[in-house]
Amino acid sequence: MKPLRIIFGLLAFSIATTAAAFAAAELLETGSSLVYPLMNLWVPVYTKAHGDVKITTQSTGSGTGISQAVAGVAQIGASDAYMSDAQLGTTHMLNIPLAISAQQINYNVPGLNDVHLNLSGPVLAGIYDGSIHFWDDAKIKAINGSVGSKLPHEAIIPIHRSDGSGDTFIFTQYLSFSTPSWKGGPGYGTTVNWPAVQNAVGANGNPGMVQACQGAKYSIAYIGVSFLDQTNQAGLGYAALQNASGKFVLPTEPNIVAGAAAKDKETPKDERISLIFAPGANAYPIINYEYEIVNPKQKDAATASEVKNFLSWAITGGQGKTFLEKVHFIALPPSIVSLSKAQIAEIGS
Amino acid sequence: MALVTATIVFLIAMFLIVYSWPAIAFNGFGILTHLEWNLGNQYANGVVHRGGFTGAPGASFGAVVFIAGTIISSAFAMAIATPLAILVAIAMHYQVPRRLKTPVNTLVELMAGVPSVVYGLWGIGVLVPWISSSVGPFLAAHISWLSIIGGGSASGNGLLATSFILAVMVFPIMAATMRDVLSTFPKIVFEGAIGLGATPWQAVTTMVLPAIRTQMFAAAMLALGRALGETMAVLMVCGSALNQLPQNIFAPINTIAAVIVSQLDSALTDPTGMAERSLAELALILFVITLSVNLIARLIMRGGDRVKRTA
Repeated sequence: MKPLRIIFGLLAFSIATTAAAFAAAELLETGSSLVYPLMNLWVPVYTKAHGDVKITTQSTGSGTGISQAVAGVAQIGASDAYMSDAQLGTTHMLNIPLAISAQQINYNVPGLNDVHLNLSGPVLAGIYDGSIHFWDDAKIKAINGSVGSKLPHEAIIPIHRSDGSGDTFIFTQYLSFSTPSWKGGPGYGTTVNWPAVQNAVGANGNPGMVQACQGAKYSIAYIGVSFLDQTNQAGLGYAALQNASGKFVLPTEPNIVAGAAAKDKETPKDERISLIFAPGANAYPIINYEYEIVNPKQKDAATASEVKNFLSWAITGGQGKTFLEKVHFIALPPSIVSLSKAQIAEIGS
Repeated sequence: MALVTATIVFLIAMFLIVYSWPAIAFNGFGILTHLEWNLGNQYANGVVHRGGFTGAPGASFGAVVFIAGTIISSAFAMAIATPLAILVAIAMHYQVPRRLKTPVNTLVELMAGVPSVVYGLWGIGVLVPWISSSVGPFLAAHISWLSIIGGGSASGNGLLATSFILAVMVFPIMAATMRDVLSTFPKIVFEGAIGLGATPWQAVTTMVLPAIRTQMFAAAMLALGRALGETMAVLMVCGSALNQLPQNIFAPINTIAAVIVSQLDSALTDPTGMAERSLAELALILFVITLSVNLIARLIMRGGDRVKRTA
């Protein structure tokens, strides 16, 4: 027992000392499960070039990211949703966009999964509030042209996230901005008061959404674009969504870029803005900034400068296609990069 | 020892009461009577005041759906698992040949030790699609007149899947404990009954089981405690119903433990903090339910012992 204990002791001691010698600062990044895969691509590359910093990344959910950044437990909190005025309250927290993400509407209708059905905000709101029950509802047929006649008389199973989620936030924003009755009803948030629909089910996390949609015929689900490869593998269809100009568009890179371009001039200095339902002929309607929530007052100067260095790299070197393409994210437009730079400059101690 | 346990239980209860006090004042009795569970709109400005505390606009915390889901799913699970566990325990004790006893016992104990998330994954990957594509349509086609079955299986996530998973999880615990209970019954008495001409089945049902019924009941209660509080596997297959009670055995449900996990992340961003406190109040309700089940079981067992002694 004793020699073993000594060996372990020495091991622990040497690990601790080497860590102390090589890593001047330790940063904790926690939050959004959509940002997490990107962080796993960024951090190894960044820390290889910057041996003086150790960055731990965690996938805990946007809510945890925000609350731990506010509490000072984490230096960087990742969130798919920007903080509301009410959430900010009297605290001053920076909401810094790092990339642009999108969301697709997946469905499992045997025979139609290889065509892209047309869906609109009001139709989706009808499906999720229970007023549209069947796939061959007149409102769905009306926007699907010749495909409309192939829609089956089967009950729709609407699947929503049961856990708090940035995906729920942007999906319900699309419904709120396009459909007055949804805005006045459930509204939007990371968790909303889903209307009681007999068939509706909640699923846990994006992997749970993919599984539930694949497992249940005639279901529909909203899933983050970083899961597009998985939903394609699962044989699910994804819809062309009606944008603010009335056109049905797919979540392709040019359409996401078009949506972001329509909103970049409107983006305020604190960058807290929704990109949902952006104007523009080809703008894809469900896109969002992925945020890092950072306290401008860090515990000491060393930590502050490491946070600044890492975030500055993330919005410049980190915007390379080798990183973003793997998770289907889109790089920030130049004007947003400079806004983010200005916000990063505010970080101090 | 008993004093230590009582102190710990008391401290847990005190923590839950103190921590959820703002929610208790804010929600009043409404939490036990309302269906609607709504964290409130965190992107609107302003707050609502109730009971001297504030919540997000539109906040409404009614726990009826979760309380009902917890009790119904556990009751169904017990209805499936208890008879099976009794039969398996009897078979393990009296029927399994001596050389197979150790492997069979080990197998049951292994089943009891499988982490719940593994059962949950099996539920998502196998059980739920099977209910959706086979069990549901079959039952709907053949016994649709039974209203608790009619209505179609839809996604497969829901009451049936939850109860089944819970039954699979509590069954080995129950079978193993019941086998231990059976082994406390003097073998010589059982053999005496056989010697007097009873069949083994008669000996077990008329003599052994009545004699040890309170301990068997205790074994079942232990399993019920596990079912009531099970979280991860339930969250994965329950369908996370909100604002509606199940209308048939396929309908999505939600349990107290599952909703606490699934809503915590959003609750953390509620600037008023009321969402988090209300989840703590849900935990308090679950604590009270589990404690009451235990106390009732104890009372019944005490009653049973008295009957036995006077008999």
